[in-house]
Amino acid sequence: MQAGLQDNPRSGAAISVRGLHVAYGGTRVLHGVDLDFTPGSFTALLGSSGCGKTTLLRSLSGFVPVQSGSILVGGRDVASLPPEKRGMAMVFQSYALWPHMTVLQNIGYGLKLRGASSAEIATKVAAMLEFLGLPGYESRKVTALSGGQRQRVALGRALAIDPGILLLDEPLSNLDAKIRMTMRHEIRAIQQRLGLTAVHVTHDREEAMTMADRLVIMQAGRIAQVGTPEEVYDRPATAFVANFMGAENVLPVRVERSGQGASLHAGGASASLAASPSAAFPAGEAVAYFRDDVARLDAVDAPASGDLVVPGLIAARAYPGGVYRYRVEAAGREITVDDATRHELGTKVGLRIPVQRLHIFPATEAGIAA
Amino acid sequence: MLSQRQLALVLIAPGLFLVAALFLYPLVFSLISAFTRPDGSFTLEWFAKAYELYSGDIVFTIVIVLASCVLTAVAAIVIAGTLTLGENPWIVGTLKALYRWPLFIPFIVAAQCMRTFLAKNGLMNNTFVSLGLMEPLSAISFLDWRGIIATFVWKQTPFVALLLAGALASIDRATLEAGRNLGASRARVMLELALPQVMPTLLVALVLSFVTMLSVLSVPMMVAGSQPTMLTVDMAFRINAYGDYATANALGVITYLISAGAAIIYLKRGMNQEATS
Repeated sequence: MQAGLQDNPRSGAAISVRGLHVAYGGTRVLHGVDLDFTPGSFTALLGSSGCGKTTLLRSLSGFVPVQSGSILVGGRDVASLPPEKRGMAMVFQSYALWPHMTVLQNIGYGLKLRGASSAEIATKVAAMLEFLGLPGYESRKVTALSGGQRQRVALGRALAIDPGILLLDEPLSNLDAKIRMTMRHEIRAIQQRLGLTAVHVTHDREEAMTMADRLVIMQAGRIAQVGTPEEVYDRPATAFVANFMGAENVLPVRVERSGQGASLHAGGASASLAASPSAAFPAGEAVAYFRDDVARLDAVDAPASGDLVVPGLIAARAYPGGVYRYRVEAAGREITVDDATRHELGTKVGLRIPVQRLHIFPATEAGIAA
Repeated sequence: MLSQRQLALVLIAPGLFLVAALFLYPLVFSLISAFTRPDGSFTLEWFAKAYELYSGDIVFTIVIVLASCVLTAVAAIVIAGTLTLGENPWIVGTLKALYRWPLFIPFIVAAQCMRTFLAKNGLMNNTFVSLGLMEPLSAISFLDWRGIIATFVWKQTPFVALLLAGALASIDRATLEAGRNLGASRARVMLELALPQVMPTLLVALVLSFVTMLSVLSVPMMVAGSQPTMLTVDMAFRINAYGDYATANALGVITYLISAGAAIIYLKRGMNQEATS
C-alpha cells in the first residue's frame, strides 16, 4: 500500500437529495426522491430493472437532467451544474477506459485536466497503481489488461482526482464470479481507508449486503425502504422489499384479534402472534412472506409449539447440495422449502414456520409484489 | 458439365467485362498514351510539357484540395461533435435535419449556387450591404480559389460528418461520460477522447473526399477564373482546344499519383496502428 494514500484519509462529502423528479421524455422515472448520504458512508441503491436506481445515480453525476428538486453537496445545490463541475468520480459498468491511451494516461487524465505537471502525474499514478496492486503497469495499453485489471484502472482513474464522492454504476457486473468477490472487498476497503462517500448501484442483493453499510431499496421510481442490511433483510417495510430480499414464499393468512393477543390462521393451522414483531398487526386478510430456509418439514400432526404448522403435500424434490429442496402444496399455494431429510413425493407433511420469521402485510398491499 | 469454379467465372463474366471495357482499357490506354509518341516510341516529353505549362496548377490543385480537406475535417468534427455531445435538443434536431442536404446536390449545381452566392454583387455581399455590415464599394468577389474551397467544403462536409457521426455513435458512450465526469469540457472530450477513437473513419472519409475533389471539373471551371486553375480544367482544355490527348493523359497520370499519395499515407498509418496494437 502506498503511504501517501494510506496516511491521508480524505473526508467524504455529504449529499442531500430533496424532492428529486426525473423524466425521460414524457415518462416519469423518479417521483420525488428524498435521501441523505452521510460523509464516509457506503450506500447501495438496490432494486429490479427499471426501478430508477441507475437514473438516480446518473442524476447525481449530472448525466441525466433533473426536472425538479435539489442535490446538495456540502450545502451547495449542484442539480443545475454540468457533470464536469460536480466533483464526483464515477466508475462505470463497462469500465469506460480510453482504448487509445495507456494506463498512465487513463489514470492521469483527471490530473492533467487539473493542470498537474507530467512529473506530478507520473508520481501520483505510480502511487495509485501501487495502491491498487498493479505496480509498473503505467505503459501498458488498457486493451491488453484483463477485466479485473481494467476495473482496477477505472477505479484508480476515479480515485486519482481525490474525489469526496465515489459513484459506482454496477462496476462488478462484467467480472467473473471469483474476481467479483475479491473486488467487493477491495472497493469496500479502499472506500473505508479513504473515507469516501460511496453510492453503489447494483441489482445483486448479496453484493449490496456485503459492501454497503446502508441499503436503499427502490421500487418504480420511489424509495421503498432505507436501512442497514440487517434492518432491510430482517424487517422489510413492504411486501415488495420482503419479496425482493429473498422472502419469495407467499402464504395467504388471516389475523384474528382476541383481547390483548392476536392469532394467525393459515390452511387450517393457527398460531399465536404474541412473540412476533407483527403482533400489532390489525385483524383481517393478510399475506405472509418467508424465505426457503426458514421453514422445515415435520409430521403432519406434530405439536405446533408456538410455530405455524400448515398441512401440505410434497409435489416435487430436488437436491441442489447439502439439503433437499421441496415444492410443497399448502394453503392453496406452492411453497419452496429446504430440509435436510429426504421425503418421498406425495407424502403429507406439516410445514413448520416460526411465526417470528414471517413478514406479514395486508392482502391489498401484497398484490403489488405478486 | 461446368465445375463450380467455371460456373463462378461465367457468373461474374459480364461484370468483369464491363469493368475491363469501361475502366481498365481506357486507363491502360491513357497510361500508354502518356508515355508514347504517335509512332509508338517511349517518351517523357508529355510530362515535360505538362510540367512546363502547368506546374503552377499542380501546386494550386494540391493546395486547394489539401486546404479543403483540412477545413472539411474541422467542419465535420464540429457537426459530428455537436450531434454526439450536444445537449440542446433543438439545436441537435435542426442540425441533424439540415446537415445532409448538400449530399444530394451535384457538384455542378453546388458550383452554380456558389456563383450566385459569392459573386461581387452576389447574395452574400448583398446581404452584408443590406445589413449595414459592409459598404457597397468595398464588396469583392470570392469567385477565385476561395470560392473553390468554399464549394468543396460545403459539398464534402456532410459526407465526412455522416461517416464521423456514425462512428461516434458506435463508441462506448461511457468513455465520453467518464471524461466529463473527471472534469473535461465537451470540446476536450470530443478532441481528446472521442476523436482518437474514430480517427480511422475520419481518415477514410478524408481520403475519399480528397480523391473526389481532385477529380471535379465543374467547380473550378465555373467558380474560379482561368489562371491559376485545377488540373481537371487543364486536361479538358488540352483536349477541347488542341486535341492534345497525350499531355492531358500525362496530367491524368500526375493526378493519379497525387491521389495514390493520399491513399499510401492512409494505408501506412493503418499498418503502423496494427503494428503497435
